Amino acid sequence: MSNTRPVAPAPRIDLRSESAAAIVVFAALALLPLMMGGYVIYVLPQYLIYGVLAMSLGMLWGYAGILSFGQAAFFALGAYAMGLAMKAGFGASDGYLGLLAAIVIGAGLAFLVGYFLFSAGVRDIYFVLITLALSIMVQQIAISQSSLTGGFNGMYIPRMDLALGPFGSVSLAHDRAIYYLVLPVTIAIYAGLRRLTRSDFGKVLVGIRENEGRTLSLGFETSWYKTIAFTISGAVACLAGALYGAHAEFVSPSLASVAFSTEVVIWVAIGGRQSLLGALLGGLGVAALSNYLDGLSPVFWQLILGGIFVAVIIAFKGGIAGALGRLVARKDGTHG
Amino acid sequence: MTHETVFHAILSLAIQGTLITFVYALAALGLAVVFGLIGVINMAHGAMITLGAYFTWACLSAGLPFALAVLVAVAGVGLVGLIVEHALIRHFYDKPFETLLLTWGLFLILTELIKIAFGSDIRTIPTPLPSAIAFLGFHIPEYEALVALLSAALLGAIGLVFYKTSYGIKIRALTQNREVAGLLGLNVAATYKIVFVAGAMLAGLAGALMSPILSIDPTIGNIYLVRSFFVVIVGGIGQLLGGTLAGSFLIGGSQTIFGAFSSQVIAQTVVFALAIVVLRFRPTGVFKEK
Repeated sequence: MSNTRPVAPAPRIDLRSESAAAIVVFAALALLPLMMGGYVIYVLPQYLIYGVLAMSLGMLWGYAGILSFGQAAFFALGAYAMGLAMKAGFGASDGYLGLLAAIVIGAGLAFLVGYFLFSAGVRDIYFVLITLALSIMVQQIAISQSSLTGGFNGMYIPRMDLALGPFGSVSLAHDRAIYYLVLPVTIAIYAGLRRLTRSDFGKVLVGIRENEGRTLSLGFETSWYKTIAFTISGAVACLAGALYGAHAEFVSPSLASVAFSTEVVIWVAIGGRQSLLGALLGGLGVAALSNYLDGLSPVFWQLILGGIFVAVIIAFKGGIAGALGRLVARKDGTHG
Repeated sequence: MTHETVFHAILSLAIQGTLITFVYALAALGLAVVFGLIGVINMAHGAMITLGAYFTWACLSAGLPFALAVLVAVAGVGLVGLIVEHALIRHFYDKPFETLLLTWGLFLILTELIKIAFGSDIRTIPTPLPSAIAFLGFHIPEYEALVALLSAALLGAIGLVFYKTSYGIKIRALTQNREVAGLLGLNVAATYKIVFVAGAMLAGLAGALMSPILSIDPTIGNIYLVRSFFVVIVGGIGQLLGGTLAGSFLIGGSQTIFGAFSSQVIAQTVVFALAIVVLRFRPTGVFKEK
């Protein structure tokens, strides 16, 4: 087998090994509450939700090549939607209403913004800066509309009950209960996004990432594909935000800040932008590590994180998942 | 409302609008130079503005006079720009998306270094010229008028460099065709370096000069990054002087007008939304032919 390649290949992740890894990870997460309790079980759902947020960007950036600095805007919108739905007091279905509203708002806003911009050929740097502005706008609206959002002080959100129709309802006030709501949702979103990226639709997205002009000339209406990808990403990010609101029982404007938007990009870059599992674990792992090290030395950890981010951009484009993928590929190569 | 009060209100908006136009132009100039001439969007531009403001604060705390503090800030941020360009950016000029991410990483690192060095508390600098100029019954703060004048002078000076000196013409040649400019004997690498450092120095100058008008905190530059970007885009990339001035006028002017009817926060949000709409319909700037 010759080893000559015309261009440096994008780090390719073995699909079978990613599936196997995903099963192991999810099985471990499912069994964890049986072995542990306390703080770990309380805080893990939050990191899983961050992982979902990271996947919403991973799909968009890694597959379609669209970088968004506005994921925090959608996340914050979702959390506020959950808070307002719980405040509205429609009864037992408030929580469902919040989740549904988040999906509709996220998808709707992302569709409008995406169609508006992509149909005019706005892309790359321009799109990045506009999504950054989107975060700033959502944050400023959240601060200024204090009668609705609580302004700077934020808004408390009671935890939703999981109404099960004729079977009554389960209170999610217990850490294990909400853990077992968030985990299946995370798995479902992972499975859904993974299916999407491996479908024909996903292949067109990769085509757009590699060469949009050529994909267009093959007859694919690329602006339409990009709009749909952004819509799905917005809906997932917003749903993650609603879950976050339900779990944290609190939302404040800093959720839409440039700093938080940035963090999402870092999670995905470190985890591996071309692997959904990498993005998920990047969000979960980096957020958990940040939380731990922030307690020891907040500023220095952020500085190190910035340094790691720059290193990933320069030398490890595929992040951790990409590096592992290459390692596995090399091993296979020596055996075969 | 009588005619006089209406006239008075319009004049007041005009004065505010003029001041804000030149302040925004000052803030955007560094970004415009780097983006327009070498095609790099410097995402660390906002952090460089912040750094300029903090350097000024530090020099004043050390007892330096204001004018000297500004010069030190410009040199300091220029040095940071030089180090960064030499260590990182110069290897990535042909990959715009990578430079975007790299400069973003740089923004993170600079912001954290600022937090470590100066803390996160809000710093204020007393204005060096506390009096106001009386003009047609208005009081225009002297310092803000000076900043506007300096900004106008800077635009003029940059215009002279680019359109009247042979080096400026060479740089513009480089923008139009890098290969040919290189073949004709222009040192491409050095020119890129000079432009990037000049952009950093301009950001430092903007931060230094704006520092008495702002309450300085480590994230103050974020909004100036987005604002400056919109100024450059709305004005038209590569149209260094006219574009920056026109963009600042449209962004700053509309913010002044909306601010007169609602809060500054709402005005800011509306202006960003409008800028996005403009970008959608005139991606090459408002005044440029399609």
